[in-house]
Amino acid sequence: MTSKGNFISRQLKELIRKELLILLRDRQTILLLFLMPVALIFFLSLAIKGVYTDKITGRQIQLVLENESGSPKALLLEEKIKSNKLIMLIERPPGMDNDRIFEHGKAQAVIFIPKGFDDGTKPVEIQFDPVLDTGYKIAMRSLLTSLTVEVVMDIDNLEAVVSNFLVEKTKPNREFPSPLQQSVPAYAIFAMFFIAVPMSIGFLKEKNDGTLQRVFTYPVNAKMIALGKVIPYYLINLIQFVLMLLVGVYLMPKIVGMPFHLGEHPWYLIPVTVIVAAAATGFGVGVAALARTSEQSSTLAATGAILMGVFGGIMVPHVVMPLVMKKLAMISPMYWAHQAYLDIFLRDAAFGTILPKLIVLTLFSGICFYIAGRRIKWI
Amino acid sequence: MNALEISSITFSYGLLPGKTIPEESAYALHDFFLSVADGQMHALLGPNGAGKTTLMRIITGQLRVMSGNVAIYGNVMPNQDALRSIGYAPQPISLYTTLTAMENLRFFGTMAGLQAREINDRSEKILEETGLSSYALKYVNTYSGGMLRRLNLAVALLHSPKLLLLDEPTVGVDPQSRHHIYETLSKLNAEGMTILLCTHIMDEAQRLCSRVTLVDKGSAIFNGNMNEIDNLEKFFLEKTGRGLRDE
Repeated sequence: MTSKGNFISRQLKELIRKELLILLRDRQTILLLFLMPVALIFFLSLAIKGVYTDKITGRQIQLVLENESGSPKALLLEEKIKSNKLIMLIERPPGMDNDRIFEHGKAQAVIFIPKGFDDGTKPVEIQFDPVLDTGYKIAMRSLLTSLTVEVVMDIDNLEAVVSNFLVEKTKPNREFPSPLQQSVPAYAIFAMFFIAVPMSIGFLKEKNDGTLQRVFTYPVNAKMIALGKVIPYYLINLIQFVLMLLVGVYLMPKIVGMPFHLGEHPWYLIPVTVIVAAAATGFGVGVAALARTSEQSSTLAATGAILMGVFGGIMVPHVVMPLVMKKLAMISPMYWAHQAYLDIFLRDAAFGTILPKLIVLTLFSGICFYIAGRRIKWI
Repeated sequence: MNALEISSITFSYGLLPGKTIPEESAYALHDFFLSVADGQMHALLGPNGAGKTTLMRIITGQLRVMSGNVAIYGNVMPNQDALRSIGYAPQPISLYTTLTAMENLRFFGTMAGLQAREINDRSEKILEETGLSSYALKYVNTYSGGMLRRLNLAVALLHSPKLLLLDEPTVGVDPQSRHHIYETLSKLNAEGMTILLCTHIMDEAQRLCSRVTLVDKGSAIFNGNMNEIDNLEKFFLEKTGRGLRDE
């Protein structure tokens, strides 16, 4: 490398080093950039776990079963109910009638098999919790009906009997993410875009306290100073994502009790993360160029990140949004970033499917850098 | 060759180069001249808003003039060689407060083009000269006002500049620190460093400097030898008036 090249390289390294030292010594910023997303992943994975099980795997119904009849058919029905995977039998809590059981959330249904069930004089009685989801009520009623039919008609397995007449052709789930598939990339992206807060505040602080002006009194050009500001935050973005991924793969499954797979093509994470980090850094640069005070920059950066998160399927999974919101989501770069990660984790998509999202994100970062270049006032 | 040659510079905030406006009062500097000979300690005095800090920022390349020339040892600004030959201690303490003194010196030394070894050697010497050796590894945000001013000066001196520009280098410091700074400046000037000192402290200017330029409303209204002036403050008030300058 030429002497001038060496000089430029040393200047750039020193600019990056200075920025990283300042950033890493700011404890509040470190908490914001690293602990906040971990906390969000933790709490929100647990919060939406119920939605996931309701929508995808189905949760077990807690049921109180009372068998007044001791007849063989009644016992067989009791056995079939007990052994069904969708049902968890519980004992009636002492001193509680059905209404109190439902009120205290001890069970969602009570079944009573009366004497006279065998000879058809008295039917099985089912009482559901009034607030139980209608879909679940219908499903449970159908299940109990088919079990009762099996017992009454002396059939071992009704499903096997109708299997030639009814077959399910549902495609594998490619749209509804698991809690970890939703929250790990979502809050990693959210934290990456939040880099705009320390980035813009740090830039304005240097302008206001005169250190930036002082740097310009040395033989160093504006492009070098800009790179010295952008590169450290870009590196922090990459580290953020890697850490969140490690949390998602190794820690969160133990807590939520669900695995987190990286999909069939985990190496696609590299180009996606490189571009998402560029988009996040671009957003930070844009805010730094547009804001005139620290208050403006923190408000613009934080509000911008939160709004992008709300619209973009970060806070609320995109798949459960109404149609209008789903379309509006496309204005948020976080939507495109999140969908790119879901392409990898959930859909096992080919790179050609991911590529348009990366193009949108590249355009977004290009626009941000262009605006920053035109609007920035160094001094 | 003069260390600093400023010829007929004009500058206005917010106006693009090549544009003019008729009112002279709208310019921060208008048709301004200044020469500082090599090896001289030259005072730059003026009321608030006269244009002194603007002038400093122009000399150090932070601002571009609309017309005229600024030459440092013959190199017309903007020029990288010119920037290498100046050291600037601005009026605000422009240091990275969450870095240590050594880290600040390392950073600015690298920006000045010094090699790592040079930075280490020069830093030790400079910190010794400014009385900050014992605090080299402490964070700057733990420093007193006097220490901050001395470190501000140390950063400006690190790369052994030929021309030192000081904008109010002793504001807010105690007499001990002020005295230390005066001794350092006198010693540097005696060794051949050219110093342009911008200050409001008349005693400081009269004590240290051999030449003085008075600036008011963007123009140089006086240029002469310090030993021709008996009472600098009285002379200053006569030339610039006693009215408050609140603009």
